[in-house]
Amino acid sequence: MTEARPEHPVIAAWHRRPLSNRVGSRRFRRRMLVATYSAWIAVAVIVKVLSFGPLPPFSLTMILVAANVIIQGVWVGRRTIISTPTLVDAELDERLVQIRNAAFRTAFRVFAGVALIGWIVAMEAMQLQPNDAGRLNAWLIFFGVALLANTLPTAIVAWREPDPIEA
Amino acid sequence: MSPSILNRIAVLRAERGLSRQQLAEAVGINYQTVGYLERGDYNPSLELAFRIAEYFGLPLEAVFSRQPFAPMSSQLYGKEESA
Repeated sequence: MTEARPEHPVIAAWHRRPLSNRVGSRRFRRRMLVATYSAWIAVAVIVKVLSFGPLPPFSLTMILVAANVIIQGVWVGRRTIISTPTLVDAELDERLVQIRNAAFRTAFRVFAGVALIGWIVAMEAMQLQPNDAGRLNAWLIFFGVALLANTLPTAIVAWREPDPIEA
Repeated sequence: MSPSILNRIAVLRAERGLSRQQLAEAVGINYQTVGYLERGDYNPSLELAFRIAEYFGLPLEAVFSRQPFAPMSSQLYGKEESA
């Protein structure tokens, strides 16, 4: 019979921050998700409208970058039981690992469809309008797909996870 | 979906005056998972089931079962539950 290997002192001394359970009710989370993605679409529409004005394309792209960074910071940046897709196995228990894996499975199916359609639409946009307007359309699609790639698994967990129970 | 495994975690936890958080820390899981186990919404792995049973100092079959548990009163005093 083998003895249990003692944990390396550096690892043992490493203070692992606990996961927060402050995630709100499921209803609240679902509303926040709808509001988040709606807000991004609103930003994309505003950027499109602004593109008819004097702002250079680089500034418009930076607006999209900022929107993506803020949304990812809100949904992916926190260490909660909702953001399990961003955490490693060692920080999760077996139920949270299962939830995370199920979220990745669903997210992959959704993302694969959106990415394929987005790719075709972006290519067509560039061919139909081989100028700044076409490039901006392609960038809008790219940033939308990039946002989904980074936030979709977390969004799925947030959408599915029931109301938290008391400790 | 696999059939639910019944357990006495809530009873044992109440008997020992433990919070979900305390039990969760003792067996190395999130306290939300303790709630899921107690409600029968999540079936534990064999390893987690053993960890919980060992923590309570009971055999596995005293904590988990595939059949409904007999009332504790009938097990202790040999009486059928009147209700």
